Amino acid sequence: MVDCARIQKELVDCNKDKGISGISVTLDGDEFTHLTGTITGPVGTPYEGGIFQIDIQMPGEYPFEPPKMRFLTKVWHPNISSQNGAICLDILKDQWSPALTLKTALLSLQALLSAPEPGDPQDAVVAQQYLRDYPTFAGTARYWTETFAKRSSMGIEEKVQKLVEMGFPDVLVRKTLEIVGGDENMALEKLCTG
Amino acid sequence: MLCEILQVITRESLLVAQREDLRRVMEMLNLSEQHARTLLIYHRWDVEKVFAVFVEKGKDKLFGEAGVTAKSCKIKHAPAAMTCEVCMEDIPKHKATTMDCGHCFCNNCWTEHFVVKINEGKSRRITCMAYKCTAICDEAIVRNLVSARDPDLAERFERFLLESYIEDNQRVKWCPSVPHCGNAIRVEDEKLCEVECTCGVQFCFSCSSEAHSPCSCLMWELWVKKCRDESETVNWITVNTKSCPKCYKSVEKNGGCNLVSCICGQSFCWLCGGATGREHTWTSIAGHSCGRFKEDQEKQAERAKRDLNRYMHYHNRYKAHTDSFKLESKLKETIESQILMLEGKESELKDFSWLTNGLNRLFRSRRVLSYSYPFAFYMFGEDLFGDEMTPVEREMKQNLFEDQQQQLEENVEKLSKALEEKYDGLEDDNLKQSRMQLINLSVITDRLCKSMYECIENDLLGSLKLATHNIAAYKSKGVERASELLVRATKGNNSISCLQTSSSISATGGTVEVGRSSSSSLNFENGCPSRKRSKREAFGNVLFDLNLPAEVIDKS
Ligand SMILES: [Zn+2]
Ligand SMILES: [Zn+2]
Ligand SMILES: [Zn+2]
Ligand SMILES: [Zn+2]
Ligand SMILES: [Zn+2]
Ligand SMILES: [Zn+2]
Ligand SMILES: [Zn+2]
Repeated sequence: MVDCARIQKELVDCNKDKGISGISVTLDGDEFTHLTGTITGPVGTPYEGGIFQIDIQMPGEYPFEPPKMRFLTKVWHPNISSQNGAICLDILKDQWSPALTLKTALLSLQALLSAPEPGDPQDAVVAQQYLRDYPTFAGTARYWTETFAKRSSMGIEEKVQKLVEMGFPDVLVRKTLEIVGGDENMALEKLCTG
Repeated sequence: MLCEILQVITRESLLVAQREDLRRVMEMLNLSEQHARTLLIYHRWDVEKVFAVFVEKGKDKLFGEAGVTAKSCKIKHAPAAMTCEVCMEDIPKHKATTMDCGHCFCNNCWTEHFVVKINEGKSRRITCMAYKCTAICDEAIVRNLVSARDPDLAERFERFLLESYIEDNQRVKWCPSVPHCGNAIRVEDEKLCEVECTCGVQFCFSCSSEAHSPCSCLMWELWVKKCRDESETVNWITVNTKSCPKCYKSVEKNGGCNLVSCICGQSFCWLCGGATGREHTWTSIAGHSCGRFKEDQEKQAERAKRDLNRYMHYHNRYKAHTDSFKLESKLKETIESQILMLEGKESELKDFSWLTNGLNRLFRSRRVLSYSYPFAFYMFGEDLFGDEMTPVEREMKQNLFEDQQQQLEENVEKLSKALEEKYDGLEDDNLKQSRMQLINLSVITDRLCKSMYECIENDLLGSLKLATHNIAAYKSKGVERASELLVRATKGNNSISCLQTSSSISATGGTVEVGRSSSSSLNFENGCPSRKRSKREAFGNVLFDLNLPAEVIDKS
């Protein structure tokens, strides 16, 4: 049976300073077995400005067993599956300790976004790219952040449309946007300089 | 090195055996039982390894790696209440427990943690709950807290700790008997050997299947699979028989052409199984064209047939010797009753151990002979060593081996025949002559077995370049028998005593094992080796009369 008292305390504690930490957790329905976490992409990384949602399943033995976490938001990262959001992180597996919390786990995920560990990859394709061609990796990661992790900003389709209307071919526009990580102004600059 | 010292560990002596190793580490390093256990579990119950790490890397490293934390002397004066970091509740001090590492949580949380870990099968290494703390929890605390919640689980915890001695121990293996005799066998030093449990089961210590030398473990595994595999029989049927299209009886092909006739009178085509007339030539059947007469198919069938014939050749001989072995085991009774009769007679001869020895020689060499066939099957076949030898080399080696095998075979049969004689009906002179003959045969057979093993080890397996195959060494005395672990209440009197001063030997942990000597192999101890050797010799003498090679009997 899930320890509701502890989870309740964790929720209060976590959401108290979400403005500073950029981390929050909400209940999914009335059950304490299913939660959703949110983290902001760390500044100075291809994930900057993105808001990432994480699906959290609480096992019956929580906190004596680790929570099961998975990215709901699509992320381009060596330790996160680009297919299903599965995460490769030691503290969610054998390094879990009952003294850790949802907040510390989410903080670790945020840290993982800042410092990928391509040596222990979850997504081999991304990890290869990260190691061999960092600029392309960073571009794709930024593009994915732009496309999937930014709710408020202009959608990628709108940007494409705008640039196409300026007279650039659709295929080239999409490609350029991807290279520059979705930044409309940078894309325009690149398109103009050829 | 041979595995000279074998012990049977029964359910009852498991605790004693484990205690003994624990005690050595406890006394050597001045540790509590639970810390000694933590070290030993981490090092797979290899006492020498623990001592070696201690000497090489020092105490701190040894303890750190394994998760042993020496209790800090400072008793923390914690406030009367604390907040448990796991359940986040305020807890009065008496409801919380501090581990040796200094981390304190409430008893409820500790208990829950232990329950989850025991259920996960991690009883042997339950770490502290604090993040990144690798300290192993005090087993007494685990025991107490868990038994308060779930006595059955506490018992399981206890059993897991106990069985770790067998399951995590490289020197100990469960006896593979079915139904299980409850025993485990411990060997010293050598892990590649064949052993006999007190329940009578003989097995290979390295793969736990029946004793199979001179086959290597891999060869034996493949052979068992091959024999069990029905595809061989299926293969035989497809290669050699087809069912008649009229009466469905199996018909064997005997002749070169593809027209076969059933005893019911029906003729049919061997290739497609279709009914035909009787008119045919070597390559075609009149009025019949099945279109399946293709050369490669013929070749494939030829190849399958060749492989199958090869397998059958080795299997038949293997089986023949295994069957003989079973039949000959009945000789045991006959020989025993003959010895009884002979002993009752007025005669110059008083000692009839040569008969028992001859019989044991027969049993042992018969085994060697039967396992030498699967060995040859793989040694000179293409499955395992196809790339190891040129065909010429292969043929040379095969001839060398088969000469030896043949000689051994002849002598084993002679020995078998000699043992069927009615010794109790013989007059003294004839009896003496028969005795001489039997002893001679035993000696020769023993030598032949020995040189076959040597040939296998040195010339055949020893010269492999790509693969490594090892076999258990040949033992004239037969498969090593494990002796019961002796439990004595006396103190001292064993090689362990040279490890520490006599005053440090605990009166309670006074377990002594015959021939137990590995403790003396510590390189930083003096004065042990000579004692160790004398122990082993003394141990060997116990078995003198029953299991010595014929050579020795001959000399005496
Ligand atoms: Zn607690
Ligand atoms: Zn600790
Ligand atoms: Zn047994
Ligand atoms: Zn084996
Ligand atoms: Zn028929
Ligand atoms: Zn014919
Ligand atoms: Zn046909």
